[in-house]
Amino acid sequence: MQRDSIQNTFRVAILLCLACSIMVSVMAVGLRSTQQMKKEEFRQQNILKAAGLWEEGKDAESLFKQYITPVVLDFETDKSTDRYEPGDKEVDPRYATRSPELSHLVDGSEDTGVDIASIRARETYTTIYEVRKDGKLETLVLPIRGYGLWSTLWGFIAIDFSNASGGLDSLHVKGLTYYQHAETPGLGGEVDNDLWKAKWPGKQIYSEGGEVRLEVAKSAATDYQVDALAGATLTSNGVSNMLQYWLGQHGFGPYIKSLLPGK
Amino acid sequence: MAEPTEKEVLLDPLLNNNPITLQILGLCSALAVTTNMQTSVVMAIAVTAVTACSGAIVSLIRNYIPNSIRIIVQMTVIASLVIVVDQFLQAFAFSLSQKLSVFVGLIITNCIVMGRAEAFAMKNSPMMSFMDGVGNGLGYSLVLLLVGFFRELFGAGKLFGVTILQPVTEGGWYVTNGMMLISPSAFFLIGFLVWLNRTLRPSQVETE
Repeated sequence: MQRDSIQNTFRVAILLCLACSIMVSVMAVGLRSTQQMKKEEFRQQNILKAAGLWEEGKDAESLFKQYITPVVLDFETDKSTDRYEPGDKEVDPRYATRSPELSHLVDGSEDTGVDIASIRARETYTTIYEVRKDGKLETLVLPIRGYGLWSTLWGFIAIDFSNASGGLDSLHVKGLTYYQHAETPGLGGEVDNDLWKAKWPGKQIYSEGGEVRLEVAKSAATDYQVDALAGATLTSNGVSNMLQYWLGQHGFGPYIKSLLPGK
Repeated sequence: MAEPTEKEVLLDPLLNNNPITLQILGLCSALAVTTNMQTSVVMAIAVTAVTACSGAIVSLIRNYIPNSIRIIVQMTVIASLVIVVDQFLQAFAFSLSQKLSVFVGLIITNCIVMGRAEAFAMKNSPMMSFMDGVGNGLGYSLVLLLVGFFRELFGAGKLFGVTILQPVTEGGWYVTNGMMLISPSAFFLIGFLVWLNRTLRPSQVETE
């Protein structure tokens, strides 16, 4: 048998690759819908965690229904809109940023420094999440994303409105979570470490003048700073940058301002 | 040497020829995933499944594999199986697969899987290779679970997330041993197991 001939080597290699790729793709396609469902559940769980409402062992979907109201926000007018329903594909950033009608390019030039989170395009309509108590806004959960070292980090920041007064400086962080990223495990990947996330609640976001001061710093000294992740400077910078962008005037800033009492 | 029986092949790697304590293979993942029982169990099942199935598949095609590409053929089979396991975990144990993160993917580089494919499956029948894979997987699992047991119990006072020793931080009496939750403790525990195994079975000590 010509087992070691060149022809046989090629034949075995090609057949093996074919068989393996068919096996892998059949599995991937067959399990996709279940995985998607689990992903959605995990996303809801992260929204609840950011808002400090997650209870271990509970069903994410029912807790979500109980506490959270999704609202579609129009970035053009900085007001909520009923043009699309939450859950429509038009308000899914992954879908929207590929369509010119549903998104616009973020100014990427270094001089203006607008696109510090390196997102390139921002959706025009997005879903935000409100927690209300007796009709009064308690917590606002906002989707954020931005580039770290290897990947775009997807997460949520929850803003505590319970002590909101006239100024932006009355707002505090309720929680921060990341549900998808591909940063280095053990270094940048620690963004989803519960101990690090526990440093966020209670931090102040805006200065008196309304600028985003919240950031990740090498050694946190002020009420605006959170300790950086050891050995993960670029991921930490990425977190700071995305907060700067999404909470600033090009992101949710104007909408957050409009929610303050007396405005 | 007499042909090994299926029973020998299955049970030998548990104590007599354990892949971790005797052959000192697969340590990386044994350090990384054993901070608690839950991840240890999932990792143990995943590695056992991959070792067993890759052994069977490699053995099935062993007479066709050209010698010059045999290692890469084994790797391809193993890698495909690992992707399948990873997809399964993402669909049915999502939060656990998040916790295990890269370590499921890194089963590919686990020397036990590759070692059994090359050393055993290339020379034996598919059934025997499957048994050998299960046996070695179980040997790995045994060490993983032992290490996971001690690390979670002494590190967090829990087992499978259920509180056994009430920690001080939760109003109890047990002062948790933080070192147990970081990787070096797994080295100590595995070293202890190696020592124990060799003391009880002096035949495992290498002759000078």
